[in-house]
Amino acid sequence: MSEQSGDKQLRITNEVRAYQREWIEKTRQRVSEGEPFAICNGDDCEEILNVMDIPVIVINYWHAIITTKRMADYYLDILRERDYPATVFSMGLAVTMDNKPDMAPWGGLPKPSIIIGGARQDTEMRIMELWAREYGCTFWPMEFALWHGVERVPPPGWFERVRDHWDELVDPYKLDYRVQDHEKLIRYLEVSTGKKFSMAKLTEAMELVNKQMDYWRMARDLIAKTSPCPASLRDQLSMYQVMWHRGTPQGRDFLKAYYEEVKERVETGTAACPDEKIRLMWVNALGTPPRWGKWAEEKYGAVCVTHNYMGIAVDCYARTIKNNDPLRTLAARYMLLFWTTPDWIAAQAKHSNCQAIVMVAGRGTIAAYEKTGVPLAAIPSERDDEATRAALSDFIETRLLS
Amino acid sequence: MAAFDELQKHYHQRDLAARQWKKEGGKVVGYFCDNVPEEFILAAGLFPLRLSGDPWGDAERAGPYSEQGNVFSREGFVASMLHMILNGKYDFLDYLIIPHARDSIHRLYTTLINLKETESALKLPELYYLDNLHTNFYSAGIYNRDRWLALKKQLEEWIGKEITNERLSQAIAVTNESKRLLKELADLRVADPSLVAGVDALQIIGSSMFMPKKEHNKLLKEYLAGAGHLPVRNGARLFIEGSPLDNLQLYEIIESCRATVVAEDNCWGNRNFDVPIDMSADPVDAVIDRYNNKAPCSRMYPLSCRVEYCLRSALESEAQGVIFSIYRFDEIQAWETPDEIKAFKENGIPALYLKDQPYLITEPEALKTNIEEFVQGI
Ligand code: SF4
Repeated sequence: MSEQSGDKQLRITNEVRAYQREWIEKTRQRVSEGEPFAICNGDDCEEILNVMDIPVIVINYWHAIITTKRMADYYLDILRERDYPATVFSMGLAVTMDNKPDMAPWGGLPKPSIIIGGARQDTEMRIMELWAREYGCTFWPMEFALWHGVERVPPPGWFERVRDHWDELVDPYKLDYRVQDHEKLIRYLEVSTGKKFSMAKLTEAMELVNKQMDYWRMARDLIAKTSPCPASLRDQLSMYQVMWHRGTPQGRDFLKAYYEEVKERVETGTAACPDEKIRLMWVNALGTPPRWGKWAEEKYGAVCVTHNYMGIAVDCYARTIKNNDPLRTLAARYMLLFWTTPDWIAAQAKHSNCQAIVMVAGRGTIAAYEKTGVPLAAIPSERDDEATRAALSDFIETRLLS
Repeated sequence: MAAFDELQKHYHQRDLAARQWKKEGGKVVGYFCDNVPEEFILAAGLFPLRLSGDPWGDAERAGPYSEQGNVFSREGFVASMLHMILNGKYDFLDYLIIPHARDSIHRLYTTLINLKETESALKLPELYYLDNLHTNFYSAGIYNRDRWLALKKQLEEWIGKEITNERLSQAIAVTNESKRLLKELADLRVADPSLVAGVDALQIIGSSMFMPKKEHNKLLKEYLAGAGHLPVRNGARLFIEGSPLDNLQLYEIIESCRATVVAEDNCWGNRNFDVPIDMSADPVDAVIDRYNNKAPCSRMYPLSCRVEYCLRSALESEAQGVIFSIYRFDEIQAWETPDEIKAFKENGIPALYLKDQPYLITEPEALKTNIEEFVQGI
């Protein structure tokens, strides 16, 4: 499966994958016994549902599974046939519309009792509303969504303040309403499922999240200062699926094991790509490794050693609970997780000793990154094609090797 | 008709009245969309000007900010508006209110606040973000209420004095008059036979957003007084649903096919003036109620509120067919369309779905053939 040469897969990634499969089977079993099951968008309500012992699948993760099983085109066609826009965010809905468990990854999801969606994007609420209609389950609209909380220019260095000073970054009046939004949802879940919510458990969950992200940081820091890089980007990114179990002991333990395995590799001098000559940071929206990764390694020894998702994990999820109020603290994170600012991306690249950042970018973005002092290799698309390779070759040969 | 010519002039020279106002020492507040309470702006003694795009103009200045997918989705519409702000077309604006409407409008705001920080040479108006929620729940109304009150306060800060209830009631009287007159216009369109072309109606409705309301009311009254002489229109009666239409291209093509657009669900058309303000209630509450209960833009939850509004408007207009015209990347509009087409089918009304439309129609002939075929089939 690997697209990087010399890459030895981390043991932990297989453990995580196995756990995920087991989790879905267990969930299916629980649902068949009458237990509730929820679908929500990433970073919307997972901790709350976890605390209430309501299994939840995050829509982005489900879409990643569909994509990994190479079913995306099939489901996009299902949408087109029905005159709906064929977008990645609606693939889960397409699986339900298609209603062919034999075709679907994992045999499809068990029937949810609730789908929760917000106004993060124009279409999110609509797609999730339709999805719930398709399942015949409750749709719960959240008024406030990620990035709704902020009406200002991100202050420089925000990423160093977001863990401890989040209250300075999120508009307080919006946060008041988002907290109310959560209280309403919790009440509804208590009524409809008979499950209980507990502040003490939420505090515990938030502390587990912080611990999990601390291990992530420790692993990232080891990778950052070790050349050749001890863990392939593919492995690093595949740990991201643990994100969907954050706030649980399992989530923390996986990251602890990941850190320990990376450390062991550093100590034994095991490299993902022993011929590393150039270190790059890869930036994309989906959190997938670059398709041209193997080519760049073989041709130039150019290795993508980190990704913006690693920065999200390390810098953006942990929150110091303020005023003894974990719900408000969490709600603030659901409103502001990160801004993709050049200063933040560049800080990550520097931290990982990368000579350049690679991303699909046009004029405006290139200009903004120039100011950070880390060169930006702008590629025309994410495809591994002539045009991308030509742009990369040109950049590496003229900017990094000359 | 002199009145119509004057209205038409303002539809085509959209900044004419505002620039004149400015020359006379007044201040101008630009805004987007149809959910910024213009009554507050009027009561503050400021000139509200709805900003639009220009399909024939370029969008070059928006280029650097619209890369990376469809940042300014909905084809060129929003990019065009951004371009016009950046290239000085709206350099006379004192303030710009940007509501939390669709994503593309929100991105306009984030782009502009960033530019304000990074490019000090750019002359940009003072920006105000008017948040509001995308559901029609009671609790959302409470949040929106607070935001509208905050806007009122901001306007008071800008003018340095309070907006009294008396001033607000006067402003409401003017906008209600406008809504009442525009409703009369809508009635002439849906009369059988129809008396007003959709192309004319769009210009009359649109000009109300570009000129002083009182003046617009006066001209519209004159126009309506002469309505007895309007020639009757034959041909198919059509209802138009879809992406925002801030220009006449589509209606011109449709109405060159022996058809009349008798009504539409569009924020540049009938949707703009649908719900009057209750004059018997406290004026601030009444304005807030109106904007909470006005006809929904596609971004609103639930879907049923959109489908019902669209179907009801079309049925009331006694349209014989419906054309859906959706810009490329206008996904939220596209997501509701299958349900709407289904609702029309159940009511025996045929629909033509024009997908992925460009903001500037570059192949009018092909579109015309398509529409002609549809009209003939009715
Ligand atoms: S359709 Fe809605 S978001 Fe778009 S311009 Fe009209 S009011 Fe604004």
